[in-house]
Amino acid sequence: MKARILTFSAIGDTTLLEYDPATADIDEVNRVIAEYEAKTGAQPFDMATGERVEKVTREQNEVLMVHPIAGG
Amino acid sequence: MERAILTAIALFALVVWRFVFEGFQQRARLRPIPPPHRENDNLVGRCSSNLGLSCTGVGIGSGWGPGSYRIDFIQAESRAETYLHRVVALTGAMQKGNGYILDVGATRFQLRDRYVKRMPDRSDPKAGYEETCFYSAFQGMPKAEQIAAALLQLRNNPALFDKWAQKDLAFKADGQLFGRVH
Repeated sequence: MKARILTFSAIGDTTLLEYDPATADIDEVNRVIAEYEAKTGAQPFDMATGERVEKVTREQNEVLMVHPIAGG
Repeated sequence: MERAILTAIALFALVVWRFVFEGFQQRARLRPIPPPHRENDNLVGRCSSNLGLSCTGVGIGSGWGPGSYRIDFIQAESRAETYLHRVVALTGAMQKGNGYILDVGATRFQLRDRYVKRMPDRSDPKAGYEETCFYSAFQGMPKAEQIAAALLQLRNNPALFDKWAQKDLAFKADGQLFGRVH
């Protein structure tokens, strides 16, 4: 089973990264996530629990990058 | 006599042509000019905490991802609704009318498109509420997914409500300041 990192977007949702959690280099996955966060401010949430995660692990199969919110 | 009629026709044609020409010019002036593409740290938004006033926001178009996509709007809305339903179930929120209720501890949040209310004590309806608007810093995100993102973030960090109430600023899910809204 493949794991994926996705984000909400203008087309509903977009898969940013798909990988095999058993064999993938998780450090590389987290590096990609960190790069995406640096660029967009989005942070990872585990879609199995709804919790924000600091680092993605092999246990997470679906991670949603949630973008910043503004208000006023 | 013939000459006078010809002159009158020519004048009439001139007047008609002028009106038509001006009409085209007017329409050309009224055509909306697309906003310039903005880079990562730019946010554009106007927001009011008053219910009923407009709260619009246009956020980042990152270029690293789907900021500028717009492929199939109906499909996007449909997929967004699917994600919203998943997030509602995940966060324990409830749909009420066209909005959603999310309880975090004693605090109750009521979310609908672009607005969120906070009731500090849900057991005491007389305790009153505060309201602010919210919008995603990511351009073009369907409304359903904006609500889904707000539900996820509030459930994890209810103090974000106070951040969102600050005008002209966007915050990450962990509460860190992301950028200034212009």
